[in-house]
Amino acid sequence: MGYSFDFQSVSFGPLWEGLIVTLELTVAANLIGVVLGFPLALLIMSRFAPVRLPAMLFVEFFRCTPAIVQIVWFFYCVPMLFNVFLGSMTMGILALGLNLMAFNAEAYRAAIQAVPREQLDAGIALGLNPLQRTLYIVLPTAVRASIPVLLTNGIGIFQQTALVAIVAVQDLMYQAKSLATETYRPIETFTIVALVYFAVSFPVSQVVGFLERRRQLMMS
Amino acid sequence: MTMSFSAPLVKIQSLHKSYGPHIQVLKGLDIEMKPGERVVVIGPSGGGKSTLLRVMMGLEKIDSGSISFGGKPYISSESADRKTEIDTEVRRSIGMVFQHYTLFPHLSVIQNLILAPCKVRGESRASATKRAQALLERFGLGAKANAYPAQLSGGQKQRVAIARALMLDPKLMLFDEVTSALDPELVAEVEQVILQLAAQSMPMMIVTHDMWFAKNIASRVIFCAGGVVVEDGPPEQVLGAPKEERTRDFIDRVFHIRH
Repeated sequence: MGYSFDFQSVSFGPLWEGLIVTLELTVAANLIGVVLGFPLALLIMSRFAPVRLPAMLFVEFFRCTPAIVQIVWFFYCVPMLFNVFLGSMTMGILALGLNLMAFNAEAYRAAIQAVPREQLDAGIALGLNPLQRTLYIVLPTAVRASIPVLLTNGIGIFQQTALVAIVAVQDLMYQAKSLATETYRPIETFTIVALVYFAVSFPVSQVVGFLERRRQLMMS
Repeated sequence: MTMSFSAPLVKIQSLHKSYGPHIQVLKGLDIEMKPGERVVVIGPSGGGKSTLLRVMMGLEKIDSGSISFGGKPYISSESADRKTEIDTEVRRSIGMVFQHYTLFPHLSVIQNLILAPCKVRGESRASATKRAQALLERFGLGAKANAYPAQLSGGQKQRVAIARALMLDPKLMLFDEVTSALDPELVAEVEQVILQLAAQSMPMMIVTHDMWFAKNIASRVIFCAGGVVVEDGPPEQVLGAPKEERTRDFIDRVFHIRH
């Protein structure tokens, strides 16, 4: 291999700015996903079809189409259809946030359904009404149980943020592409960028593993 | 007609319950329980014992029949829409303990105890905590107030579950195979607590496979099989000299296994 590496010509300034944008996208999308995912989960579990079906359609749309298509659709179709464009950053946050909300709703739903029947029986035996059972038994148990999946989905969306580069959001990936073109150093640039994504994701995935092991201990 | 001092605490009339169209679990059960009685229900698995307790607690819908408590009907079936009517006020005077502890894993022992008194009865945290602590002391769990269920042994969990049910001052306690899931060496500590309650003349209905415990605690034993009451009488009779063939078979087999 005759390639001579030159990491000197990769300037970190733009990459740093890009990373900040990427983290902003991640945090904002996660806020939407974690908070709004729970009510969405309650909607998809509703006994009333007019409530349940639209919610399910929403979830399935985001689960069954590629994220990149969703992002492109948001950037080009929403402005044309509804005559609104909220700036590329906002549109990016919305596209990623709604996507995450759909996936998190599924995580919450699975966790809610996994609350053992006996727990609810105990709640009834203690005289708690349905709302009290949801608030004091189902919700805390389900939220705890879904934390590992929420975190996994969260780092998933951190990586998906790279997709918004194609619609000119100046995130880490966007900066990397510009830098690679300017310096003719794609190997160095993208290697560094890959390491940066890894350095952020890896600790989170370790935390997920730790939480799952601890949960198994708690349940035993 | 019985006189008023022995008026039934619980009156179960012609109780029918099935799971789906083919599995009939209770086929016309009639039981009258007097105040202060400790009724132990024994019988083969699938005979409807646990279902009976679950129905009494309002955890299952019934097909037909009725149950009254202290003279007041609180569970009945509206045959028109097959809906089971349950009076929550009465149900709140009944406490139940389950086979699998069912403590809330995200709450500490003391929080498990005060949840219902605070939320259901609107008792103040301070007063509920004080009562809870006293109950825990009584059951030898004073040091475990701030532990979480995962940190307790099976026997400790079950004693906490009993304490939790007692926090609502029940007039009747239902015990559904509360020692079946326990390691043998932990059974005694739980049975001890139930015997303590018996000594204070708490009315109770107990479903158990532990015939020795049944003998110790029962003031009356009901042998339930095939969804009906087969034999009903004092423990010396039902456990010692059963009149019915089916009871005798069952008792022989169970005691044989234990020896």
